[in-house]
Amino acid sequence: MSENPNLDRRQFIVSSLAAIGGALVVGTRPDFAGAASADATVWDKAAGAGSAEFTPWILIAPDDTVTVRVTTPDIGNGTLTQAAAFVMEELGTSWDRIKVEQASPNRDFKEDGVYSKVGGFLGYFSGRSTGPARMATYLQVAASARERLKAAAGHKWGVPPSEIEASNSILTHVPTGRKVRFGEMVAKAAAITLDREPKPKDQADWTFLTMKAPAKLQIPEIVNGSAVYGMDVRLPNMVYAALRQSPVHGGKLKSCDFNAIKNMPGIHAAVVVEPGKPRPSDLKPPFPFGVTTAQSAVAVIADHYWQARTALDAMPVEWDDGPGSHWKTTEQMNAAAFAALDKEGEKIEKSTGDVEAALKNAGKVVERRYLTPYCEQAPLEPLNGTALVTKDRVEVWHPSQHSQMGFLVAADETGVSPENVFFHQTYVGGGFGRRAFSDDIRMVVAVAKQFPDRPVHVIWSREEATRQGRYRPLMAAKFKAVLGEDGLPTAFHARVSGGPGFFVLGLPDTALASGVVPNVRIESQVVPFHIMTGPYRGPGYNSNTFFVETFIDECAIAARIDPLEYRLRLYGKWGDIGWTKCLKEVAAKAGWGQRLPRGQGRGIAIGNWGGDGKPEAGTTCATVAKVEVSKSGQLKILQIDVAFDTGRVLNRDAVATQLEGGTLFGLNMSLNEELNIKDGRIVEGNYDQYPMIRMADVPRSLHVHFGGLSNNARFTEIGEPPVGPIGPAIGNAIFQATGKRVRTTPLRKHDLSWT
Amino acid sequence: MAVSLTINNEVVTVDADPSTPLLWVLRDHLGMTGTKFGCGIAQCGACTVHVDGRAMRSCQFPLVSAVGTHIRTIEGLSPDSSHPLQRLWIEMNVPQCGYCQSGMLMAAAALLRQIPKPTDDDIDQYVTNICRCGTYARIRAAIHKAAEAMPG
Repeated sequence: MSENPNLDRRQFIVSSLAAIGGALVVGTRPDFAGAASADATVWDKAAGAGSAEFTPWILIAPDDTVTVRVTTPDIGNGTLTQAAAFVMEELGTSWDRIKVEQASPNRDFKEDGVYSKVGGFLGYFSGRSTGPARMATYLQVAASARERLKAAAGHKWGVPPSEIEASNSILTHVPTGRKVRFGEMVAKAAAITLDREPKPKDQADWTFLTMKAPAKLQIPEIVNGSAVYGMDVRLPNMVYAALRQSPVHGGKLKSCDFNAIKNMPGIHAAVVVEPGKPRPSDLKPPFPFGVTTAQSAVAVIADHYWQARTALDAMPVEWDDGPGSHWKTTEQMNAAAFAALDKEGEKIEKSTGDVEAALKNAGKVVERRYLTPYCEQAPLEPLNGTALVTKDRVEVWHPSQHSQMGFLVAADETGVSPENVFFHQTYVGGGFGRRAFSDDIRMVVAVAKQFPDRPVHVIWSREEATRQGRYRPLMAAKFKAVLGEDGLPTAFHARVSGGPGFFVLGLPDTALASGVVPNVRIESQVVPFHIMTGPYRGPGYNSNTFFVETFIDECAIAARIDPLEYRLRLYGKWGDIGWTKCLKEVAAKAGWGQRLPRGQGRGIAIGNWGGDGKPEAGTTCATVAKVEVSKSGQLKILQIDVAFDTGRVLNRDAVATQLEGGTLFGLNMSLNEELNIKDGRIVEGNYDQYPMIRMADVPRSLHVHFGGLSNNARFTEIGEPPVGPIGPAIGNAIFQATGKRVRTTPLRKHDLSWT
Repeated sequence: MAVSLTINNEVVTVDADPSTPLLWVLRDHLGMTGTKFGCGIAQCGACTVHVDGRAMRSCQFPLVSAVGTHIRTIEGLSPDSSHPLQRLWIEMNVPQCGYCQSGMLMAAAALLRQIPKPTDDDIDQYVTNICRCGTYARIRAAIHKAAEAMPG
């Protein structure tokens, strides 16, 4: 990234295009008299007459409205709002003047990666709103725009810009009190060249970032139903498609009888999608195109979705299941994953010290096996998307988690030049990784291109979305530790196995394997399962933290040391004060050590996401769960406390929402989630079979604590970290309550009864 | 078959098969997309509307049954987003992705109509919708605050 991103080209263009609409939405949040706003429907809308584009990231209109372009789709984590907050810090505007909109991948392509070169492959990826490169870019372009506005006003009044202040979108000449609005100066400011770009403020001088906590800008649209998600796209002449793919992943359509349904009301066509061979491509997608491969599918197209759905259900369809059907049951697959742990792994993920020697001289050895099942991200908005394909042009409207990837997939699937592909990012009804690979976009375009010249809105039923996932992989682990005289591990030997695409992330990069234990060996083994996998909130980490932190608890019990005390001693060796701060904070707030009645217990666990095996990096999260288990084995979560260390925090409330939500996501993952396999097919289809926690299942005491923050100079991610420790914290609490140790999830399947 | 429906105090005419779920009539025939499709089997509650003042999951409620009732959707919860729940949803930063929140708001508004000062147990019993982002604690807090603010 250059020091002054995107200031070197195409800067400060005055737009003379069609007029812009746009009303500001007034919020009621007490901190903010007015609120900034979001508009996910401004699809490649032309800029207002006389507006000045202060780099492709910021545009200021004559009425003072500041439009901030955001690459990252907002999946509910506040990426749009955080971008606005960065600009707010430096520009000298007011919050109610700021609007945000999604940046165009088409423009990015035509203008040599004008957006995506900031942040690399994560440039357009959702979730990374606070990456250092992104933050630096917004702060810089806002500061540069402000200085140009000041220079323009200085020129108008014949005074030095240093005598001018920018505040609330007004430029004031301090000595004389003369004032002019930003909007009156934008045309002149756009023509100004500065000798050098200004340096953004020191963090110590911030007045908005870290200090204010604005709510998400799109909430006013959400609460009146006007927010447009992918599912809500409505276009002239649009038709709907209902979709069915091979129930066994990798199978093929054998036959379908369109004649049986063609006279049903509203029906236009049935189209068949067959997975194509990857074609040679010079498009350089951020993920390999292989992960986007379409499955064998049939779609019925009709005037309305319900007509399409009803006809699809009535259409005779036969499948050739293919080799995946050899996996008859979940138990067979679990056994295969466990069996893979009995031989040396095909890949050595990490090796330090001498594990063999340590094992030979072993005193006390703890050896355990663990397993976590396939899980579906299950975002509440089922997969869907809309595409209009014509001979030489493609338009897509989609709730993506990676709009640049989606844009390139649309070009690849149609063979249309990317210059003529237009990707319109909508709001996203949940992502959790499911919408990152763009396989859904490939399917939408593959259907729509067979029904050209009309927009086709392709909708997965909930059952279809559940059974055609890119799941959290099935993973099994065998851990062995040698405990020294002080009870702490002197050696750690791990084997993990899983289907193709499984993630070891969250194991070799743990503190445990990165310096806390002197002798470490980690091996991995792929088992040839046919089930498709992909990223699921906290990939790898979400399974591995369950394994590691359950195992640490078992080591603590074997060493007869309190689980909190054991972790303080163990992780006290890790050169990162945040770990012990988080443990102490969460334990104190949870009342650790206070006596509980029989059948109740507390458990603790800690993890780090994104630290890549280095101290003072990534986000550390520690969780204490208090549970009650009835004699008959009914489990109730009574209390959850969470402490974390992101270094510092830009928006306290935004961070709290992610910690609350991520903890409940991990709670459901651990308690409830499991996909089963029968004759190669996914059994579960809808929420009646794949249960979700609801209001009554959420402990009324769920608290996020800020006392674990180290104040280390970093702002790290918060969406994934809480997903890891909640499961093992509950499992460890169950052990305290009942003496029963759970080593697999979902926890609901265990008999927890006690006497 | 063309039928008349009363939605948000307006009479509209719809030409759809009488078995079509009200959800799809609202979304695809009338373009009222605030009511969401989440599961199709009345599990998740994203499609919650009011039928004669009571919360109803519209994905399992056929058009023919809607005739002669008063239907209220998220678009008609208030004319200007001024319902106390809507205001508090913004103030308390309740939604994350937001997709379930139309249904949550409609379920919560129906609860407050029936029980103006609900207990935690009332909330558990009446608001049974799914939020995959995990906004439950804030929804509960906002309902209690709205109950305090509303004349009851």
